Amino acid sequence: MKRIVAGAGWAYLGAIYVFIVGPLLFVCAASVNGAAAFPAAFEGLSFRWYRAILNHPEFIAATWTSAMIAAVSSAIATAAAFLAGYAMLRGRKKEDPVLSTILASPILVPQIVLSLAILQFAALFGMGTGLLGLLAVHTVHGLPFALRLVMTGLARFNFSLEDASLSLGAGQLTTWRQVTLPLLRPSLIAGFTFCFILSFVNLPISLFLTDAQTTTLPVVMFAYIESRIDPMLAAVATIVVVAAAAATLTLERYLKIRLVE
Amino acid sequence: MPELVLNRVSKFFGETVAVDDLSLSIGDGEFVCLLGPSGCGKTTTLRMIAGFERVDTGTIKLDGEDITDQPPQKRDIGLVFQHYALFPHMTVAQNVGYGLKVRGHSRGKIDEEVEAALSLVRLGELAGRYPSQLSGGQQQRVALARALAIRPRLLLLDEPLSNLDAKLRDDMREEIRRIQKQVGITAIFVTHDQAEAFGLADRIAVMTHGRLRQMADPVSIYEQPASALVSGFIGQVNVLKGKIVALDGGRARAGIDSGLEITGIAANLGPGDLVTSMIKQERVVLSRHRPAGSENVFSCKIAARTYLGASINYQCQIERQTINAIVPNHPAFERFEAGESAFAKWSSADCRMFHA
Repeated sequence: MKRIVAGAGWAYLGAIYVFIVGPLLFVCAASVNGAAAFPAAFEGLSFRWYRAILNHPEFIAATWTSAMIAAVSSAIATAAAFLAGYAMLRGRKKEDPVLSTILASPILVPQIVLSLAILQFAALFGMGTGLLGLLAVHTVHGLPFALRLVMTGLARFNFSLEDASLSLGAGQLTTWRQVTLPLLRPSLIAGFTFCFILSFVNLPISLFLTDAQTTTLPVVMFAYIESRIDPMLAAVATIVVVAAAAATLTLERYLKIRLVE
Repeated sequence: MPELVLNRVSKFFGETVAVDDLSLSIGDGEFVCLLGPSGCGKTTTLRMIAGFERVDTGTIKLDGEDITDQPPQKRDIGLVFQHYALFPHMTVAQNVGYGLKVRGHSRGKIDEEVEAALSLVRLGELAGRYPSQLSGGQQQRVALARALAIRPRLLLLDEPLSNLDAKLRDDMREEIRRIQKQVGITAIFVTHDQAEAFGLADRIAVMTHGRLRQMADPVSIYEQPASALVSGFIGQVNVLKGKIVALDGGRARAGIDSGLEITGIAANLGPGDLVTSMIKQERVVLSRHRPAGSENVFSCKIAARTYLGASINYQCQIERQTINAIVPNHPAFERFEAGESAFAKWSSADCRMFHA
């Protein structure tokens, strides 16, 4: 009986790994498949689809744009999350449920609606599509996730350390620089990285805000699929997955920061 | 010249009064304990002196300078926290040197002062450790060294011993007193533990419900409590409610609700006044033979006894009145079993009567 239960447990665990990692392996395999179609039977190891990316400058340009948008919006979202969380928890107060629900509300709105809403909202201020709108929507989208991670750190932060620092003669800014921020560093880096990855791979929130000059990688990929499907997309996807996995592993292994608690 | 003066200081949290019209003066080099039950406003008072809580009304002066509205980082007041509050990402030396570093002192000066502060608390050899590698007692020493390293004008300690186990607490108490005397610094120590307050303080300030009830040296607080509130909080007392039947100078006879008639010390009371009489439990003497004298001598039955090691606690029944007596566990004192008959006696000087 014990053996059956243990066996079922392993099978369950196996199934989880297969369904999480399996599709990724499939994409990876397709990216190094020499075949011209996608999906297709394996015809032989080839890196032609990776080389093909180099002939598509729009992919390269969009990658830089996405990286820039992800970096700036994550930095803003993490900083805003720190300020909001700090204000809520400073003075040993309980987290304000109304405020944190409002701050988390972008999660509750379908992302495509969020994109449309920011487009209209930006138009109110005379801004059309383009970089500013994209930065805005990515920041709004990232904020709830950054907030969760930063709040986890703040909830464990001992605010009497700030009192100690003040009583020893340090000003508020020095106290932040010497005590608060160094101790919250893991949550801040985790919040930033999580936002960065979420922003970098997100398609729907950008859909209505890109224009000819400024477009993100997922939008370019989406446009590409509409005209044809070939393994070059798998190659692009593999690069993104490998980069994200490398970043996550580096954080967990060398900085001892867990992205998901 | 008094060093720290609180003048009519009050603090409100919404509708509740945390500190109510508190005035006190603390002299140079004095060690004062703020003693009271939790929620009595003692920690709020400390935090106002440190600058972490705004003073709603009243003023605080330090060395003649009004510091009421000064931010904490300008006050030069050293603080030792209940939970140590050491910076976990800094070594012991960095913790102790922190206040000097943010003041912009040179490396050499910081190293020198850190060494002096650590040797004062006898922890020189642990300078390179992180707080997580230290025991609770060692962490509290580091916290003390850190607070003293800035050479503060005043040292505040917020229940610094309450996280330590009993034996360590006694050692640390002695240590704090030794260091305070050696440095000659004025210190305020907040605690709810009477033994701590009596063992440390030059003067004790007893607070309840946000108010200062009495401020005096430990002997006066214990022997001449100013009110029923102070008397009830300090030591272990028998509380008897009744009415004054006769007065003779400072001495009064009171009829207790349970039917006894007792003699005690009363001030500002008149015949017919309702009184609360307080008798310290260790001042009740038990004997098998009727003791000499007639005042406050009652025959009683031992209803229960609790063996406490250093002492034995007897619950005595005098007619309808229950009196507790704490008797040293020593051959010089008679011992009783539950159910035995005995005589209970206490001196009228050990029975204080206050307005009910």
